[in-house]
Amino acid sequence: MKKGLSFKTIAACLALVVFASFAASAQAKVQLTMGSWRADDVTQMTQLLSAFSKKYPNIEIKFDPTNPPDYNAALHLQLQSGIGPDLMYARSYDTGIQLYKEGYFLDVSDLPGLKKVYSDLARAPWVDPASGKSFALPFCAVSHGVYYNQDIFKKLGIAIPSTWEDFLAVCKKLQAAGVTPLANGIADQWDINEVVFMNIMPNFVGGAAGRLAYETGKVPFNDAKMVAAFQAMKDIAPFCPKGFEALTYNDENALFVNQKAAMYFDGSWTMASFKDLKFNWSVFAPPPPKGSKGYVTFHPDSGIAINPKSANIDACKTFLQWLYSDEAASIVSNSVPTGFFPIASNAAKIEDAHANAFLQMTKSHPTDVRFVWPKLMSGNPSGYNLLQDGAIAVMTGKMTPKEAADSLQAGLAKWYVPAK
Amino acid sequence: MRASIGIRDRSKPFKYLALGLWSLLVLFPLWTMLVNSFKFKNDIYLDPFGLPRAFNIGGYQTVFHNSPFPRYFLNSLVVTVVSIALILFLGSLAAYSCVRWRSRLARWIYLFFVAGLTVPIKIGSVNLLQIMISLGLLDTTMSVVPVYVAMGLPIAVYTLFEFIRGLPEELTEAALIDGTGPFRIYRSIIVPLVRPALATVAIFNLVPIWNDLWFPLIFIRKDDQRTLILGVTRLFGEYQTDWSKILAVLSLSCVPVILLYLAMAKQFIAGLTAGAVKG
Amino acid sequence: MKRSFRTPQDNWIVWLLFALPAVVVYAVFMAFPVVNSMRLSFFSGSGYSLNNFVGFDNYVRLFTDSEISKRFWCAFRNNWIFFGITMLVQNSIGLLFALILTGKPLKGKGFFRTIIFIPVTLSVLVTGYIWKLILNPQWGALNILLSKIGLSSLALPWLGDPRSALVAVTLVSAWQWVGMPTMMFIAGLERIPEDLFESAQIDGAGIWRIFAKVKLPLLMPIVGIVTVLTFVGNFNAFDVVYAMEGANGPPDYSTDLMGTFFYRTGIAGQHPVGIPDMGLGAAVATVTFLVLFAGILIAGRLTGERNEDPGRSGAERRA
Repeated sequence: MKKGLSFKTIAACLALVVFASFAASAQAKVQLTMGSWRADDVTQMTQLLSAFSKKYPNIEIKFDPTNPPDYNAALHLQLQSGIGPDLMYARSYDTGIQLYKEGYFLDVSDLPGLKKVYSDLARAPWVDPASGKSFALPFCAVSHGVYYNQDIFKKLGIAIPSTWEDFLAVCKKLQAAGVTPLANGIADQWDINEVVFMNIMPNFVGGAAGRLAYETGKVPFNDAKMVAAFQAMKDIAPFCPKGFEALTYNDENALFVNQKAAMYFDGSWTMASFKDLKFNWSVFAPPPPKGSKGYVTFHPDSGIAINPKSANIDACKTFLQWLYSDEAASIVSNSVPTGFFPIASNAAKIEDAHANAFLQMTKSHPTDVRFVWPKLMSGNPSGYNLLQDGAIAVMTGKMTPKEAADSLQAGLAKWYVPAK
Repeated sequence: MRASIGIRDRSKPFKYLALGLWSLLVLFPLWTMLVNSFKFKNDIYLDPFGLPRAFNIGGYQTVFHNSPFPRYFLNSLVVTVVSIALILFLGSLAAYSCVRWRSRLARWIYLFFVAGLTVPIKIGSVNLLQIMISLGLLDTTMSVVPVYVAMGLPIAVYTLFEFIRGLPEELTEAALIDGTGPFRIYRSIIVPLVRPALATVAIFNLVPIWNDLWFPLIFIRKDDQRTLILGVTRLFGEYQTDWSKILAVLSLSCVPVILLYLAMAKQFIAGLTAGAVKG
Repeated sequence: MKRSFRTPQDNWIVWLLFALPAVVVYAVFMAFPVVNSMRLSFFSGSGYSLNNFVGFDNYVRLFTDSEISKRFWCAFRNNWIFFGITMLVQNSIGLLFALILTGKPLKGKGFFRTIIFIPVTLSVLVTGYIWKLILNPQWGALNILLSKIGLSSLALPWLGDPRSALVAVTLVSAWQWVGMPTMMFIAGLERIPEDLFESAQIDGAGIWRIFAKVKLPLLMPIVGIVTVLTFVGNFNAFDVVYAMEGANGPPDYSTDLMGTFFYRTGIAGQHPVGIPDMGLGAAVATVTFLVLFAGILIAGRLTGERNEDPGRSGAERRA
């Protein structure tokens, strides 16, 4: 006699198997990768991402940055082959819009509650103007200022300068006392461009309104204000260290850390390197020329975008929603890498004292974004390069400020319609 | 050894001077790297060339603690050895074929390989990525092997072609008359004679393969499949402001390839003395 | 005269089989991707695939657009300077070392040979970083040394001055690669039969005569190989500039080479936008390919003529 399993038993087993597989898949871990150019932030971002995984235990996100020099190339290649990371940092304005237009970012405009937490102004750097769609979640902004060695200032009886002319006088005084006034160099071109030139630019062109005047063609790019801005770069060159033509970003940090230089134009993210310094330091806003208003460059730096080819889009969306949720606000504010400021309107107070010094500057000054970011980078020659090459040429004496401004105008006129 | 017939070598001191100066020029940068990897970050700026004031092995500890360096090393080793073996084997066969096979086709095949010397292979990256995806090799350590073999073949064929061409045909003539097959001839006669060239090609390829950053960067994202140099560059970015860590990482990354080279150099020297043509 | 062997063993199938595996791997993993990408030089656009056919437009732009052609010719010129200095410094020193190491007995040959070759084994990350450190204007050994011996006026920012940066980078590259020509010349010199030397020495010839009349002619094939490989290596050079200066070839594009120009145009795009123009990049790569291929053909022609000379190998000479 065949001792077969009864129908009931078989059905029960099947049900068990089916149930088990559902349960298993429901608990199956989803693994996402997040790409970024911030290789420095591995520790902190991993912390932030594991805080997320505490709340959503079946989603695990790995922070997998690429070194900045390789980032553009590696990312674009991977996106083109359809294998990019699930989540990735997105630069603001043109830099991000281009990637969105090529189809590499998912439209995230319909994330629930997005518009409540992020005002139109906050979202704008990651919105495609043509379609009005958000291509990334605004994440962090960075600020810029002048780091200074408080101990040296105290010793020499120097007060924080309130005008650009005073600032140059302070530099002279430091130099006379045998201290290198500024730590900045030009070997890392992005550095002199983004954190020095574009740091002081709003002071000379009149902030956001001034920038708009250029962008709409009301004033040419080689007007007196722009020439004055280039002149300012020329003015600080003598106060940079000996051999500044070959000093890199890391060298500059080292000079400030070792108290070889008293001041240092840089962005807020560098705070992380200055954590355990043995001297007192703080930061002040770069002063404007006499009679002008003083601005701070507060720049929307990174958004987080979703790869449309990701296999786990829902998990990605879950993460983004968590990022700007009220309950995560304080975790986010205190886990993001030092010197990055969450853009969400529900961002909690940041504990770090120096970070608050930067925030204080943005509260007491009108702000603007980096000059070329919104509109001047999508053509060839890019406004970014023109500014960069012009600033460097002016500092090394290869061009006069007027020539640099003219070259900016001529270059942009080749493709930027309002400049023609 | 060459038996010089009693002529005194008056130029010996100059020879030693030249070699000695060059040795200093080579060893000093390496010394700098090594000695600073044992210093604390700020001590490096204060005294970049002396011995460490306070010994710091933190850099080395971080490297071993935070990343699977032994695993990276193994991956690189496998990739390099397999790639070079294939380059030498396939390349020497092809070069021998091009030299002895007298036909237009052989000439075209030779030029086909030589053309490969001229091209920056990075340009084919997107296609290569897609090929790897379709072969299912993406994200594996072995994905870079076919690319390295393909990249190494032009040099191998070009160099071995020249060396094999320079071998007198009398050597193989005798064997052919005896009735030996071409593969036996290849294995027993040609290969031993071109050992120096094989070693040269091997060493020529060893370094770019071991040190390559680009293809591992775009093909491999799983951490335990990474190669050594790829692992190093990531740490580079993470520690960029901490020189002692970077230098520890760099010092460690030199050791394996120097050892590999020393192993291969023995072959090269052995081949040289065996292959020297005696009258 | 060369005899062709029409023996039963020498049939074309065997030769084809010998060559086939190499040809297949090479064709699939190099030739096809590269040719396919070069085909892109006739298209423009971006995104997942280029599909906007523009004929020779990319080439026209490469040579006539003021911005692009300026960069192209600058990179082209820089590459020739790079090649010239490399030939002069790297390959002469390599020849010198090879001659020393294969000449009369010398203590420590093995040691020196290893020392000469160690830089070749280093990753460019290592050499780039260390030499940047040595050339650093603030903490670098070079400038500190120059100051100590009273030449502080020469303590320049080597990598930051457009007049010196390219030379500095080229010398670092030469420092790294000297081992290669040394090794190849050693291989060539070791093949030269002893009795040639002995007969020349019996004749009373001095070092220079021996070198010029005996060693040099027999080294010519190796000189040919080394020149071609240097030429090709230099015009594809990218890593050393990338490691020491960056993909933009600063200062002021003085270290921009064809390799970095191609990378910026076709792979990485201009920072920070980072969108490459793959069609234009393919055009740059194709032009590089044509220049290199022409160079190799010319070199092949020249050394081929030399190989027709009598005295091609010691054995034939004595025949």
